[in-house]
Amino acid sequence: MALIEARGVSFGYNGIPLFQDINFSIEPGELFCLLGPNGCGKTTLLDCILGHLKPLSGEILLDGSSIIRIRPEQIARQIAYVPQTHEKTFPYRVLDVVLMGRAAYIGMFGRPEEEDLAIAEEALATVGITHLRNRRYTQLSGGEVQLVMVARALAQRTPVIVMDEPTAHLDFKHELVIMEKVVELVREQGLAILMATHFPNHCFYFENSGLVTRVAMMSNMNFLAVGSPSEVLSEENLKHLYKVNTRVVSFPVDSKQELKQIIALSTTDSRHENEQGRRI
Amino acid sequence: MTGNYLADNTRKRRLTYLLLVVAPLAFIFVSLFLGRYPVSITDVIYILWCKISGNPCSLPDICQTIVWDIRLPRAILGALVGGCLSISGAAFQGIFRNPLVNSGILGVSSGAGFGAALAIILFNAIAPTYIFAFTFGILAVILSYLIARVYNATPTIMLVLGGVIVSSVFSALISLTKYVADPMDQLPAIVFWLMGSLASARYQDIAIAGIPMLIGICGILAIRWRINVMSMGDKEAQSLGINPVINKGIVIACATLATAGAVCVSGIIGWVGLVMPHIGRMLVGNDNRVLIPTSLSLGACFLILVDNLGRMLTGSEIPLGILTALVGGPFFVYLLKRTKGGGW
Repeated sequence: MALIEARGVSFGYNGIPLFQDINFSIEPGELFCLLGPNGCGKTTLLDCILGHLKPLSGEILLDGSSIIRIRPEQIARQIAYVPQTHEKTFPYRVLDVVLMGRAAYIGMFGRPEEEDLAIAEEALATVGITHLRNRRYTQLSGGEVQLVMVARALAQRTPVIVMDEPTAHLDFKHELVIMEKVVELVREQGLAILMATHFPNHCFYFENSGLVTRVAMMSNMNFLAVGSPSEVLSEENLKHLYKVNTRVVSFPVDSKQELKQIIALSTTDSRHENEQGRRI
Repeated sequence: MTGNYLADNTRKRRLTYLLLVVAPLAFIFVSLFLGRYPVSITDVIYILWCKISGNPCSLPDICQTIVWDIRLPRAILGALVGGCLSISGAAFQGIFRNPLVNSGILGVSSGAGFGAALAIILFNAIAPTYIFAFTFGILAVILSYLIARVYNATPTIMLVLGGVIVSSVFSALISLTKYVADPMDQLPAIVFWLMGSLASARYQDIAIAGIPMLIGICGILAIRWRINVMSMGDKEAQSLGINPVINKGIVIACATLATAGAVCVSGIIGWVGLVMPHIGRMLVGNDNRVLIPTSLSLGACFLILVDNLGRMLTGSEIPLGILTALVGGPFFVYLLKRTKGGGW
């Protein structure tokens, strides 16, 4: 059975529809990428899936039952969430932040026990940031904070993690660090990950790493195309989605593996492109 | 900072909690032999022993009355009031994700102030003052909450805004009561009430106002770990598995009960609810598991200390609201220098 299933989901703000009749499902162990231009509703769709927003119509099923009938702590045992940017307030210790991932398992007046502490430590080790354990998380770099957020999500022990542009604002290296962690989690922990991203190349990165990857291109209130990166991320689709001219290049690393990458050339409304566009 | 790791180290944690309980008790004990009427330590111990064991006491009655009926209830009330203001401030700072928030943020102080002023004008007696102050303090918070509900939900910013609006409305109403009050006796009574005092403390006050205060304190102590989670913001808190509306509501209810209970017997004592939690943050870090009990204990000790100064420094008593800031300000700066602010 699908871990998450969206059936005919629609949402809009103030009566203006943002997306309509969206259908998809997420299977165990797969990586599902949401791709689309700014403002197309990726984050809003994720909010519906997390139960923060109630769809105007349609329903979201979690393990077969509708999410609006499930209490927050039960949702949080199924889906963990890594925010795009975390707004830091108090200088908590990294371990204390990761421990918050256990909230769904701890009663209203309870506090984390030994077992929760062990799970939090394990999450830190999985992400590889045990050395940061006693640091104040407000003093960490953006990339390190994002790793703390991933560890906190792992401490929730869920089959699915939802990530909203987890590499936004990260530098060249830390973007890759997060991507490598995501691959590791899917490959070694068998997690399913639903990820909104601004970078089509992320989808190829996952496919290049040999993961079961699906991409949904979101545009004009619905999914333009859904499928594996190689099927969906064509020059034509990218032009349609982003109004950008691209080349998809591919080069073999060895006999088995080939790497695919998208190279952006120009926007379709630039003058330079118009000449090229006519030629094409 | 060492305090940061308290949560992991069981022995250290137990020692800290022991200290947090013992410190206010020690402050209460010391305040029994401080004051203008000299009572020696041995006499104080003797009186306490007599009263508790029920044996007849050979010391003069005035000694017994001063220690047992004046200083002791006053110190206990001071501990409760200081603890309540401080713990509510810490809890509000956590759920509003704002270190500048204090226990009066949702209007409980100005509401209670207006209630008291109104009662002074209408009845000029003590009992209705308590009831009016308490009721209007609670009412002010409910109003703030309803203003936030107008927005269909209770986002943090709307709650704070609601509190600001309600506070200013009640401040205006306080001014109005002052304006219409009899300047010979009612106006001074209102002004003194607003400056805060524990001078009228009796066991009855503790028994009545102590109920909401203790309920509030226990509630906040029980839910204190979840305040950590709530301070991540509504969206993250919900995705971590807690209902932000319900949990915030519980914290607000407890903090309001505690603050309203404190304010109705002591008048408006500013500063404690803002700065004591910060001193706690400097000493033990920001984990609410440790910070909340620390704030409670610090607030209790601090208010006893200030109250003792207030009744000893000059011939007549200095109102608490004045001294809290005068004593606390320099102390805060000193700690800031010692601890480098604890990671802010």
